Amino acid sequence: MKKNPPFLLLVVVFISAALSCNTIYQSQTLQYKTYRITPTEQPDSSQLNFLEPYSENVNKTMNDVVGVATVSMDKKQPEGTLGNFMVDAFITMAAEQYNTKVDVAIVNYGGIRLTQLAAGNVTTGKIFELMPFDNVLILQKVKGSALQEFLNIAAERGGWPVAGMTMQIKNKKAINVIIGGKALDPNAVYTVANSDFLANGGDNADMLRTIPQISNGYLMRDAILDYIKKLKNQGKNISANIEKRVTNAE
Amino acid sequence: MLNRKKFIQQAALSAGAIMAGPSVLKAAEYFNPLKLTILHTNDTHSRLEPFPMDGGRNQGLGGIAGRAGLINKIRSEEEHVLLFDAGDIFQGTPYFNIYKGEPEIKAMTNLGYDACTIGNHDFDAGMENLATQLTRHAKFPMLVANYDFTNTPMENKTQPYKVFKKGKLKIGVFGIGIEGKGLIPDSLFGATKYLNPLPKANEVADRLKKYEDCDMVICLSHLGNKYKESNLVSDEVLAKETENIDLIIGGHTHTFLDDPIQYKNKKGDDVIVNQVGFAGIILGRLDFEFSKFSGKKLAKSHTISVSQKTGG
Repeated sequence: MKKNPPFLLLVVVFISAALSCNTIYQSQTLQYKTYRITPTEQPDSSQLNFLEPYSENVNKTMNDVVGVATVSMDKKQPEGTLGNFMVDAFITMAAEQYNTKVDVAIVNYGGIRLTQLAAGNVTTGKIFELMPFDNVLILQKVKGSALQEFLNIAAERGGWPVAGMTMQIKNKKAINVIIGGKALDPNAVYTVANSDFLANGGDNADMLRTIPQISNGYLMRDAILDYIKKLKNQGKNISANIEKRVTNAE
Repeated sequence: MLNRKKFIQQAALSAGAIMAGPSVLKAAEYFNPLKLTILHTNDTHSRLEPFPMDGGRNQGLGGIAGRAGLINKIRSEEEHVLLFDAGDIFQGTPYFNIYKGEPEIKAMTNLGYDACTIGNHDFDAGMENLATQLTRHAKFPMLVANYDFTNTPMENKTQPYKVFKKGKLKIGVFGIGIEGKGLIPDSLFGATKYLNPLPKANEVADRLKKYEDCDMVICLSHLGNKYKESNLVSDEVLAKETENIDLIIGGHTHTFLDDPIQYKNKKGDDVIVNQVGFAGIILGRLDFEFSKFSGKKLAKSHTISVSQKTGG
């Protein structure tokens, strides 16, 4: 009996098991693959046709060469050449646009939208890719203590491009902040060129929210394009160096 | 808990299996496991054409035509394919400055995307614009469970989740968006209410597994892969702190993962997280094989064996 259970009992056991334990499908194995879409990939001609009318129009306005980069510039932290080039443009053009002395220019790291600007001809389209947002270059009169807090955000996030000043990062705080050759004075008021994105509290820059913005709607992208033109008029090309503007302490 | 329809289906199947002889069904399932291929992108950022040949490190990479060619090829080889995007479709090339997202959404419809979620940059030309582009040009749903768009132009333009049937499989897919504060200007985020992603993800995943009877639950997430700051919710946190999510297709941090990351969720089940950089440089492919299990066997935690696909 124990060695050979009756067939009927087996059937009953099986049916009750089947009814009490429902079956479902569950993934058991995963095989993954990452495909790089390289130029050797056979393109789908219907998509090329679809894009054509759009790209014709885009390229018409975007393919003109605005300047020449003498070096490839990279987006890097705590400091990178591409970021330095951008804030150089912002501090120069903000002073010109608003006809005032500007102490400091800052851009948030996330606001640099290319990882690299290659050496060679730079087109309008490239600058659109570098700064695609319609962010406005604004000025704020920022008290030293608030500026220190703001720079702490830049430090906490690994370092942002700055012009007109230098700083070091230690324990996620900005230290040894030097503005115009002098140590940051918590009671002094500095003229800071910035994006309306940050001034409106973007990237948690809440300390800037309440400070009035001086703005004439001048786009940051236009500031970069105008800066390149200005360089060209002076017979200069596009370039930037690492100048120990932002370093990690120790 | 399975619903009544599935219960009867399963009971009938079991009964049929007994009549045919239990070993027949088992053998068939063993030798022909159900397969599902998931293809995915994230943060394509208006990169419709390949990167220009300008000597940059990404030159020649990406573009919708090459991606379409590859997707078509995979679709011709595999029966069950789903194609997803994890948000930030907009912003990054002059196409967006000029056309405000029309060619991007049209291209996704052309390529046969099954669903996407919403990224912070998809707000960049305003909610009204996003709503218009989706209404006019999208033949796929935008999924997001934790944005409440009541009284905004995006009201009723998204849905929290969708269930896809692929052969015998039911695949539940939902979307989770990133917090707008500090990231999306107030003027663009408008009256959108941001709902805490963890409880919302748990709630929706639970619903998909238990009431919609899904065999697999996928979250399209724009939270970001992982952060040093402990107060930020990432895909890592989402994977570890929820139940019932099997796969998270991530975005936002532009993370190029060489291999998907495997986490254990709150119940000790495996959760897979993947993300494929940005700009459509890479198409991610995940081939899952499913087996049939009895409820008794399911009591223990779900593990999945992961390996790199060779060939193809």
